[in-house]
Amino acid sequence: MIKSIFMKIYVLLTILFLYTPIVVLMVMGFNESRYNSLPFQFSLQWYEDLSQNTRLIEAAEHSFYLALVTGIICVLLATLFILGVQSLSKRTEGLCRSVMMMPMSIPWLIMGLSMLLLIRFIDMDKNLLFVAAGHVVISLPYAMLVLQARLHSIDPALEEMSLSLGAPPLTTFRRITLPAIAPAMVAGGFLSFMISFDNFAISYFLMPAGISTLPIEIQSSIKFGFTPEINAISTIIIGISLLCLAIVGLIMGGSLKNVLGGNK
Amino acid sequence: MKNNKRVMTLPGMAVLFFCAIVPLFIMLAYSFQSDSGTGFTLENYSRFFTKTFYLTLTLRTIVNSLLVTVISLLLSYPLAYIMAKHLKGLKNIVMVLLIIPFFTNQLVRVYSWLIFLQDGGVFERLMNTLGLVDGTMGLLYTRAAVIIGLIHAFFPYMVITIYMALERLDNSLLEASSCLGASKTTTFFRVVLPMSMPGVITGIMIVFVPCLGTFVEPRILGGVNGTVIGTVIEDQFFEIYGWNFGAAIAFILLAMVLVSMAAINRLGRRYEG
Repeated sequence: MIKSIFMKIYVLLTILFLYTPIVVLMVMGFNESRYNSLPFQFSLQWYEDLSQNTRLIEAAEHSFYLALVTGIICVLLATLFILGVQSLSKRTEGLCRSVMMMPMSIPWLIMGLSMLLLIRFIDMDKNLLFVAAGHVVISLPYAMLVLQARLHSIDPALEEMSLSLGAPPLTTFRRITLPAIAPAMVAGGFLSFMISFDNFAISYFLMPAGISTLPIEIQSSIKFGFTPEINAISTIIIGISLLCLAIVGLIMGGSLKNVLGGNK
Repeated sequence: MKNNKRVMTLPGMAVLFFCAIVPLFIMLAYSFQSDSGTGFTLENYSRFFTKTFYLTLTLRTIVNSLLVTVISLLLSYPLAYIMAKHLKGLKNIVMVLLIIPFFTNQLVRVYSWLIFLQDGGVFERLMNTLGLVDGTMGLLYTRAAVIIGLIHAFFPYMVITIYMALERLDNSLLEASSCLGASKTTTFFRVVLPMSMPGVITGIMIVFVPCLGTFVEPRILGGVNGTVIGTVIEDQFFEIYGWNFGAAIAFILLAMVLVSMAAINRLGRRYEG
């Protein structure tokens, strides 16, 4: 009995460690003080300021469109890849898979900087295309893990049956494979969307001057004196992330933890 | 048909090739050039390995990552064990609570620690009220703050991997062990712990390796005291414009990452099969 209470207290403490600073941040967004200091006095001023702050709103728009493009491209590339890779010989398949998973183990700092050097090497200016490419590369492994998890649970006999009953490959794909993997495509898309939306490192190194995303704005306001407007926007970001998580969770169910626990 | 399918891997492979592999080779090439002239040189690497500053820095980066890994492990194992063996309906809720931070922005999380730990901040007030600490703590902009921030960022992954290993563990093995007269401690050390080692090893990999390459948490939470390899690389590129030297340090970091991955993998192989 006492043991069980101790265990519950332990779980509670770790959860508290995980959430306390985030909750404090959210609460301070509703606090009148400019310096995030106590005592607490309720105010919506920072949200009002935020709604006037075109710089932050623009950054949010950039983050959104960049993440949208990244999500769509990642789903397309990941789907094509996992459907195609099985037809390769075992050795080539393994090699191709580890190449695609590579960005998961290399620090984003190195990925971002090496792309920066590439841009300089081919003597071009930084542009949004490179930023998107960088985001795609780092988000792709996650989209692939989600699709892979789903594809494993499909019985290959279904496809074979369809083919042997005379359905052309394209019809088989459209009627059998696609409906089976469609939920994972949506989930993978949202996952890549989120990774791109939250990414700081790649954007920070590759963004052309004058354009920024939300994480970049947060970083620069930390650097040059922060305002509670950042708390307000952070709270909104957390809200958006939770919404995306809920969608991915609904689609993927319990297998989400397999994706996170996969290889990083 | 088979050949058709093979073509489908090409777009993805092409993106990876041109945006990840080629850039790494270009970076390698940059690291062997000096800022002033052209031609092959080893001076960037020799500069790194002959200055005590950079060697101390490397050591500090490794020690930081080790600390984060060990503390995360000590924090995670009991939690994963309780989740797998003692929490029944609650464990799914705890799992969701652990996964959520993965989907919260890295900078938002770092920023939240900045507010939480600052002088006169909520943590200090709390400690003062509880009478545990008197006055200013000066916790922000220290190595401790960096380590707290990194543990916060990485330990949930470790909990999840260990939990998955423990959940696979068959309860009948535990019963068998106690039937055969083993005490709870013996059962834990002879059955539970060895069987969960693959999860522990994956956890170490997921925490230690990315820790080596961090630069955001050390910069924001550690200030000047937070200098690690990652922040020095960032400085080389954005403050000093020593791109060639920066590229060399980046490669040394990459080598550290690859070596530790190989070492951890080797460790993991001992527990397979």
